[in-house]
Amino acid sequence: MADALRFEWVRLRTLRSTYWLIGSALVLNVAIALLVASLVADPTPDVVAAAVTGGGANTPVPMAVVLLAVVGVFASGHEYRYGTIQPTLTTVPQRARLFTAKVLVVGATALVVTTVSVLLDVAATLPFWADTPALTGVTVIGYVLLAVLWAVVGVAFGQLLRGVPGALTVILVMPMVVEQLIFRLSYVPALDWLHPVVKFLPFTAGMQLVSAAGEASGGLASEVGLFSRWPSAAVFAVFVAAVLAAAVTLFRRRDA
Amino acid sequence: MILATHLGKRYGAKVAVDDLSFEVRPGLVTGFLGPNGAGKSTTMRLMLDLDRGAGETLFDGRRFARLRHPMREIGAVLEARAFHPTRTARNHLRMLAAGSGIPASRVDEVLEFVGIADVARRKPKGFSLGMAQRLGLAQALLGDPGTLILDEPANGLDPHGIHWLRDVLRALAAEGRTVFVSSHLLSEMELMADELVVVGRGSMIYSGKVDGFVSEFTRSTVLVRSPESAVLAAALRALDGVSVEPTDDGGLRVAGADAVTIGDVAFDNGVRLHELATTTASLETAFMTATGDASEYVAVAHG
Repeated sequence: MADALRFEWVRLRTLRSTYWLIGSALVLNVAIALLVASLVADPTPDVVAAAVTGGGANTPVPMAVVLLAVVGVFASGHEYRYGTIQPTLTTVPQRARLFTAKVLVVGATALVVTTVSVLLDVAATLPFWADTPALTGVTVIGYVLLAVLWAVVGVAFGQLLRGVPGALTVILVMPMVVEQLIFRLSYVPALDWLHPVVKFLPFTAGMQLVSAAGEASGGLASEVGLFSRWPSAAVFAVFVAAVLAAAVTLFRRRDA
Repeated sequence: MILATHLGKRYGAKVAVDDLSFEVRPGLVTGFLGPNGAGKSTTMRLMLDLDRGAGETLFDGRRFARLRHPMREIGAVLEARAFHPTRTARNHLRMLAAGSGIPASRVDEVLEFVGIADVARRKPKGFSLGMAQRLGLAQALLGDPGTLILDEPANGLDPHGIHWLRDVLRALAAEGRTVFVSSHLLSEMELMADELVVVGRGSMIYSGKVDGFVSEFTRSTVLVRSPESAVLAAALRALDGVSVEPTDDGGLRVAGADAVTIGDVAFDNGVRLHELATTTASLETAFMTATGDASEYVAVAHG
């Protein structure tokens, strides 16, 4: 396992896109923090959370989370896009071990990057706000967790669909188009039978992790009847686990 | 020593590799020859556990996926451009070294050895096919393995590069390594290989010495023209192992007898000759004969 982890770590470090994606995430979040802090003089906990998590639940998905998911998609998808799966598997032929290494390295990277990002965002708010926001707030923990889950599901989709474009499409279209559509449609009276479905929309449920009030999607969550933060997180985590299991099973079974 | 037994792979109804068994011995360069689409790459992918199929391949008695550090025992390159376009050649090899417990210093050694040290820090997206092949060979040699498996390594090399590759592979084999290298060009294999495994349409056609392949599949024929060709044809057909085919323009193509024999037969029968010319089938023709129609050969081999 140590060899596979070392391999993945060097793979990640020797890719320019890793630096671009992580750099953009950090800069963008600091910019949001500066903007929010400079505009709002007397912040509510909601605003504080939004400032330190790059927008938090107010955006469809926090930008840094999406960028880290792209890092995840590249971890597995690039192998197929550039045919490096052959040298990779002739170096580390144990496929489950290789996939686990990818998940661990990308997951750990997401954890470190979001933690650093939150610290930078807090630092950016200091000149404007007297009190340091409570870093142990559940929203912040939820934010870091959300980033790790997105990054990991990125690796899983890249592997499952064996390429970059398909995985990126799923990662972007599923939460921002498909789930949003189902979510909105559930407001149509004739379609209110969709409400129980909405609770189990995985990415929508995941967004509850960064919701300051424990409710995502503009406070409308309770109307639709979303689960609260941790049960919703569990819905998303189960979804991520299922995609991971499918990815590793097919990886072991199929031709490389 | 590589021992492949009953390798097989089918895609739906199409059989890509049909029950191939062969042995690749150390100390020799073994060529894996077959026309494009004969199943060479698929066979190599089966050997390296990249593709799922029938049979098994043992490297000194062990399956590939069981090896702890396969790169240190088997250097394999199947695709000429299997690297990320913006990861430098050096970083590509460092990544593979990191996964195999190979010291990073070895990376610069192999880049130097294959002659691309000066572009080691460049992005390989601008590499020519020849440079990509050299990077591939560097990758194969990274772990100083006892076995090399290379798919079409001479593809894209200039004549100078092909001779260099031949010398490298021969030197590696002379050190006691097992070298298994594929090609669809017999001329390359004549230069490089001691032994041949020849496949066509996924099936085994020949396995053995290069010379044996050449003598088995190369037949000289003699073109004869005579005003009394019917008489001559009858006299030649009476000889053992001689076949006579009339050509479209009234000549005779004789196989199984040389020009001297035919001249003597003509003289003995009082037949005048207008032409007597020996044509040696080229090795490429022999290759085409051998691989062009695998089923036809099977009939000859057992007949």
